[in-house]
Amino acid sequence: MAVSYNGVTKSFRGRLVLDGISDVVNEGELTALLGPSGSGKSTLLKIIAGLIPLDSGRVSLAGKDVTNTPARDRHIGFCFQDYAPFRHLSLRENVAYGLKVQHVARAQRREQVDELLRLVRLEEFAEQYPHQLSGGQRQRMALARALAIKPDVLLLDEPFAALDAQVRAELRSWVHSLQQELGITTILVTHDQVEAMEIADRLVILNAGKIEQAGRPSFVYDHPATEFVASFLGPITSLGGISYRPHELELVSTNEPGETLEVREVVRLGFEVRVILGEGEGPTTWVQLTHDQAKHLNPRVGERFGVRVRSLKSSSSQSSPTRESTR
Amino acid sequence: MRRSSLVLRVLVVAYVGALLALPLGFVFQQAFSHGWVQLWAALHDHAMDLAIVLTAKVAILAVPLNVLFGVGVSLWIVRRPSRVSRVLDVVIDVPLALSPIIVGLVLELAYAQNGWFGSAFAAMGLRVMFSYPAIVLASVFVSLPLVSRQVIPLLREVGDHQEQTAATLGAKPTRIFFTITMRSIAWAAAYGVTLTLARVIGEYGAVLIVSGNIALITQTLTLNIGANFDNFNSYQGFVGALLLALVSVLVLTVIGVSRHRLERKRHGSFV
Amino acid sequence: MRPLDDPRTYLAKGVAIGYLSLLVLIPMAALLNNAFSHGLGAFWSAATSTESLDALKLTVACSLFAALFNAAAGTATAYVLVRDRFLGRGVLNAIIDLPFALPTVVAGVTFYTLYGPHSPFHLNITGTWVGITVAIMFVTLPFSVRAVQPVLESLTIDAEDAAATLGASPWRVFRTVTLPAILPSLLTGTGLAFARALGEYGSVVFISNNLPYHSEVSSSYVYSLVSQGNDSGAAAVALFLLVGALAVLITTNVVARRLALRRG
Repeated sequence: MAVSYNGVTKSFRGRLVLDGISDVVNEGELTALLGPSGSGKSTLLKIIAGLIPLDSGRVSLAGKDVTNTPARDRHIGFCFQDYAPFRHLSLRENVAYGLKVQHVARAQRREQVDELLRLVRLEEFAEQYPHQLSGGQRQRMALARALAIKPDVLLLDEPFAALDAQVRAELRSWVHSLQQELGITTILVTHDQVEAMEIADRLVILNAGKIEQAGRPSFVYDHPATEFVASFLGPITSLGGISYRPHELELVSTNEPGETLEVREVVRLGFEVRVILGEGEGPTTWVQLTHDQAKHLNPRVGERFGVRVRSLKSSSSQSSPTRESTR
Repeated sequence: MRRSSLVLRVLVVAYVGALLALPLGFVFQQAFSHGWVQLWAALHDHAMDLAIVLTAKVAILAVPLNVLFGVGVSLWIVRRPSRVSRVLDVVIDVPLALSPIIVGLVLELAYAQNGWFGSAFAAMGLRVMFSYPAIVLASVFVSLPLVSRQVIPLLREVGDHQEQTAATLGAKPTRIFFTITMRSIAWAAAYGVTLTLARVIGEYGAVLIVSGNIALITQTLTLNIGANFDNFNSYQGFVGALLLALVSVLVLTVIGVSRHRLERKRHGSFV
Repeated sequence: MRPLDDPRTYLAKGVAIGYLSLLVLIPMAALLNNAFSHGLGAFWSAATSTESLDALKLTVACSLFAALFNAAAGTATAYVLVRDRFLGRGVLNAIIDLPFALPTVVAGVTFYTLYGPHSPFHLNITGTWVGITVAIMFVTLPFSVRAVQPVLESLTIDAEDAAATLGASPWRVFRTVTLPAILPSLLTGTGLAFARALGEYGSVVFISNNLPYHSEVSSSYVYSLVSQGNDSGAAAVALFLLVGALAVLITTNVVARRLALRRG
């Protein structure tokens, strides 16, 4: 079901958190609301769910205005960052909560809960209580609980933030495939650009209560509309006053025409090597090399190299200058 | 684990024993000092029995009133904070800083026949002072914040995510309150209710002033004990005290259990 | 209408405010009104009459002594409860709350019988400041213990152990590591105990004998004024006492908060 919001404005105690923002989320899409903390992304998610009232603006689900509809009637699945497990209920009772509210008959309820538990692979933990589960298991429980009411839209607030790196990566791809399998319109809030780029069909980048840019991840990455989006989506460096992604630059021999810089620092990070170059007191430039390239060039501190923009064929993305620096 | 020295432990046990346990034990010793037959007869003292009935009647009204008010105000202060609720948060603690005698005095000033409300009530043919309503008022006053002081910190700690999740699952406010909120604050509420009950049953100074301390009519059990003592009938007084001491032991047990459960909740394995 | 607001909540809020007004706010206003009903001069002379001041001096002295003594004894009790494991610790922990559970009048008559003219120990302290202080100590002990106990529980033993391995004596460890950590809550607890002591009536009134100018505490004096039908005099002394108690509570809270902030 498509979700749209128009001119959504919200302030808390005189501080403007959302400044008249509008967007449309298409049916079946996974949209990531990406932004730094305090950008208003979680507030927006709660407004869509009807958990907090907005000051002005409208929210629609499938074209129907729900601005004044209470959360309980919006039919939206919502998962909090802390998963908000009902501590006094077993996993099964947690998942069954929404069905009980809808007065689903006991036998049918049991069947549906079993199916959901299978879906989130928690069958054998059905009788456990939330405090007996791991973070990842609690997260899947929260998801099953939200899915139980067969919501039209799924809203996930920082779903992976509280998990450790390995579990996070696993769950991320699992949630992605689950979402594709169910085809449910999903909005996910995150501050992690890698996470957003990996699973979202569409990115909405928020900063200080405003949408900076929205679009397909690869497009937004390659064509950031603002300085903020460029720096938020990945590292940027500058060469001759123009901003580039570090991997868009390459090192060449001093014999080639063009500017040369002195190597200041070489940082080896496993499969990639970060070379930082500079000239006198001037600004430094960061060039990202693959392990093989570094082995071939073998840059050392104090050596000089030519730095230039990588040619089109060697880069997966377009290597037009990202944008004029504001310097 | 670092241990305190044996000397310190002995000193502490001796101090607490002499100050708290000795008086409690002494009440039992005195009440049983004349044997079972005498005790049985004393338990059937007419004035004392009427006092017990009155105390029970007061508790039956005052405790639920304060529980309702305490839980409601806690929800308001924590879940819907506003300028008004912040003022409320301070005002509600005022009874804790007041002497019971002052509580009795202010209620008398407001509700006596010539007081602010008293005259209005008198015009309606209602007498508040020196009657059951006044005793209830005084009991409610002195125990006003006992429930909310337990419930407020727990509500803050638990947060509102469970309640909001329940709302997105289609639950109405009443259902959320009974299936989620009430379940999370149950032990804190139990603790508060027990403290309230103890305070209501045990109040002396405030009730002394507002009830008029009329034997057989407005004498609660605590007043009856005091009166027996003043009339040099200390044995009868200690029999009443025995009943209150038994209640207090029960109260201590409930307090101990609910505090233990609360702590377990706090130190639960939740991130 | 905002989606989250239910008209019933407004009704509930109105009821709560009405309840609080009838019960606390308006009676408190009546107190102010009565205290000043004969003018500021009458208020001042009633509040500072010789009998009032004598009662106040006695009350403050006994309350202060009891609160300070219990600050020390309460800290020791909390320390033993938190750091020791011994048979009967659970009972000791439970009985600390006895003064909250046992009616003050029961404590009052018991102390009178234990330490009065017919004392089984032949120890008569009725009508003395010692008797009054003992009753107040009974009432206020849980305030200090329960204020310090949770802080001691949360205090990591690592810091104390580290200090001990550096060769510090147990007393030095307590003074330099433990005490600064518990000081803010100890202060709050002692302030609460002192404020409570200032108004104590039921447990004190039997053992004190209530001799005006001699062994009469302030709450007793207020009661005697009420009994004489002197409402404005009672209101004046009560207001004096009340302002004192509030001042103590606010001061200790502010100082405790500063102390806690300084520790970071």
